[in-house]
Amino acid sequence: MIKIKDLQHHFKIGKKGNERHVPVLKGVTLEVGKGEIVAILGKSGSGKSTLLHILAGFMSPETGSVMVNGQETAALKESEQASFRLENFGFIFQNFQLMPGLSAFENIELPLKIKGMAEAERKMKVQKLLEKVGLEEVASHYPNELSGGQQQRVSIARALITDAPIILADEPTGSLDSETEKEILLLIQSLNKKLGLTFVIITHDEEVAAVADRQYHLHDGELVKGEQRHAV
Amino acid sequence: MQFKDQIDFIRQHMKRNKLRVATTILAATMGCAFLIVLASVGFGLHQTITDDVLDNNMVTQIEVAGKSDGEAEIPPADIPDAELQQIKEMAHVIAVVERNKPEAETEIVIGNRSTYSQVVLSSMEEEQKAGFALSEGKMPTKAEEVVVGYHMAERLLTEAEMEKEANGEEVDGFAGSLIGQTVEVELTPFTAEGGEAVESSTWEFVVTGVAKEPAKDWMTDAGIYADSSWGPIFNEEMGLEKGYENILVYADELQNVGGITDALKEDEYYVYSVTEELGTMNVFFTALKAGLIFVGTIAVLIASIGIFNTMTMAVTERTREIGVMKAIGAQPKLIRKLFLMESAAIGLIGTALAVAISYGISILANWLVPIIILSSLGEEDAGGISIVISTIPWQLVVIASAISIGVAMVSGWRPARKATQIDIIQALRQEM
Ligand SMILES: Nc1ncnc2c1ncn2[C@@H]1O[C@H](COP(=O)(O)OP(=O)(O)OP(=O)(O)O)[C@@H](O)[C@H]1O
Ligand SMILES: [Mg+2]
Repeated sequence: MIKIKDLQHHFKIGKKGNERHVPVLKGVTLEVGKGEIVAILGKSGSGKSTLLHILAGFMSPETGSVMVNGQETAALKESEQASFRLENFGFIFQNFQLMPGLSAFENIELPLKIKGMAEAERKMKVQKLLEKVGLEEVASHYPNELSGGQQQRVSIARALITDAPIILADEPTGSLDSETEKEILLLIQSLNKKLGLTFVIITHDEEVAAVADRQYHLHDGELVKGEQRHAV
Repeated sequence: MQFKDQIDFIRQHMKRNKLRVATTILAATMGCAFLIVLASVGFGLHQTITDDVLDNNMVTQIEVAGKSDGEAEIPPADIPDAELQQIKEMAHVIAVVERNKPEAETEIVIGNRSTYSQVVLSSMEEEQKAGFALSEGKMPTKAEEVVVGYHMAERLLTEAEMEKEANGEEVDGFAGSLIGQTVEVELTPFTAEGGEAVESSTWEFVVTGVAKEPAKDWMTDAGIYADSSWGPIFNEEMGLEKGYENILVYADELQNVGGITDALKEDEYYVYSVTEELGTMNVFFTALKAGLIFVGTIAVLIASIGIFNTMTMAVTERTREIGVMKAIGAQPKLIRKLFLMESAAIGLIGTALAVAISYGISILANWLVPIIILSSLGEEDAGGISIVISTIPWQLVVIASAISIGVAMVSGWRPARKATQIDIIQALRQEM
């Protein structure tokens, strides 16, 4: 599913002519199989998000290769990358990133609109998914009328709606209390089991990492394999 | 994204910033309305003057001022009758009138009243075909019968009245009808300054008809119309050369004047008709209209600064949302299109409002401005001339719409491009 090989990346900091190079990723290699949940742990500033952004194609790596579903993503043009993301990735963000002007229903519907799906088909699909993630009651609510947990469910539903095989999650429970965190983790696990979805979860929280099949620690720009799966 | 969803999308966005979008639309409306109203004055004046020219009953008249035979010019009087007959037989020609005026000073006398006049010698038959009509009486049937101009009676003054008129007093002229009256026509050949005095000759005619009032109230017709057979008689008696002849060709309808004019030109005739006059006027007014549209476009350009600002702010405000859209998989092309559509929508709504408002202003101006002009001149009516201040033909609507919407899209282009260049990672970092 995902093959990352010898990925290196550094940022330039400071004014031109007087810049400092800050290496963040110093050769990351990672393979994720279909239906796996992989957690990437690491301290703040260790480069977890950077890794995910490169994987998602939000930015290009300096060196190394990222293959997703047999496609070298760095080789794609910007517009091709957009299509590729629409087909292959669903995103879950720490701060949900919902559209404030759209209701829960419309937020979930958005990727299908972008895809150009017809209205009737779209509505049916969203309706079905709403039931699956337990959001029927609040479908017409706007993000500012939803709790954090509900917002994250909406954002998960939005990630699932396109039937993308890979879900990339950056601190999916970072803004939630521990109770709600458990709910979301259970939802992720059940989606993984029922739909066979592949998850790459970025977190600094051991409990979140515990739902993963495999854990890695990003330390000093390199990935270190962590412990095997615990029971939740 | 389907087109309907795109429309929904921009409508939602415009609703979220009602006030800002509304004021931008207002500016676009004002710019476009200014353009339309300004240019409509050019169109209005053009129409007024064209109508004025066409209103004249001479519109179907084509004047033949001679002919070229390749080298020399042939004056109208020397154009052979056979050729005039050919013109008469052309399609859409209803009459060809030859008018002669004796080269002599003309005085008309009835009893103790007299006036200076002008004898017009012509074929009454052809004149009638060409539209010559009487206000009273009938057409002459005999050679010594004549028709007099509509204003002849009021111009016939006694010596006392002439003095009064010279002092600026009102005079009445001949009271009653001239029909049946015998008039003396005294002709005195024109002489060069200081030349020897010439004798005048007098003829008597009976008035059978009075011509109808000229089409324009500033025209006076105090002429006397007699049959063309008198030409040689006058000339022989007074020892005059054949004078200048006016040849007038009449078309059945205005729309055929152009064709006949062109055909005559091709046959080397020197012609002048209303289509020629309108032609030169059209050039002038086209230039005027283009100038007004150009000035109006400046107002549209000023309004476009507002659109540019609004769209730039919209892009800045929605940076995070644009980032999310791009992250999810929206094409940069789609993002650009959505923003371009939004600025086009502002232009479109502004233009639609502007067109409606402009028609309102145009109607108001056409009603109000003549009233103001007349009251400032202290007159009651415009003397039959209808003044059109402003007209908005559909062509003007099309031109103004194209300019306004085009300018709106151009001013939305940079903000739209800026939107496509938004960095996803930076955008996602923004706080909600
Ligand atoms: N655009 C950038 N320019 C310069 N340096 C950057 C940029 N983005 C990230 N960095 C640096 O790269 C390093 C890794 O950042 P990253 O966001 O990947 O960390 P993280 O592991 O996700 O941290 P957190 O757990 O706090 O989210 C940090 O030291 C950060 O300062
Ligand atoms: Mg991070």
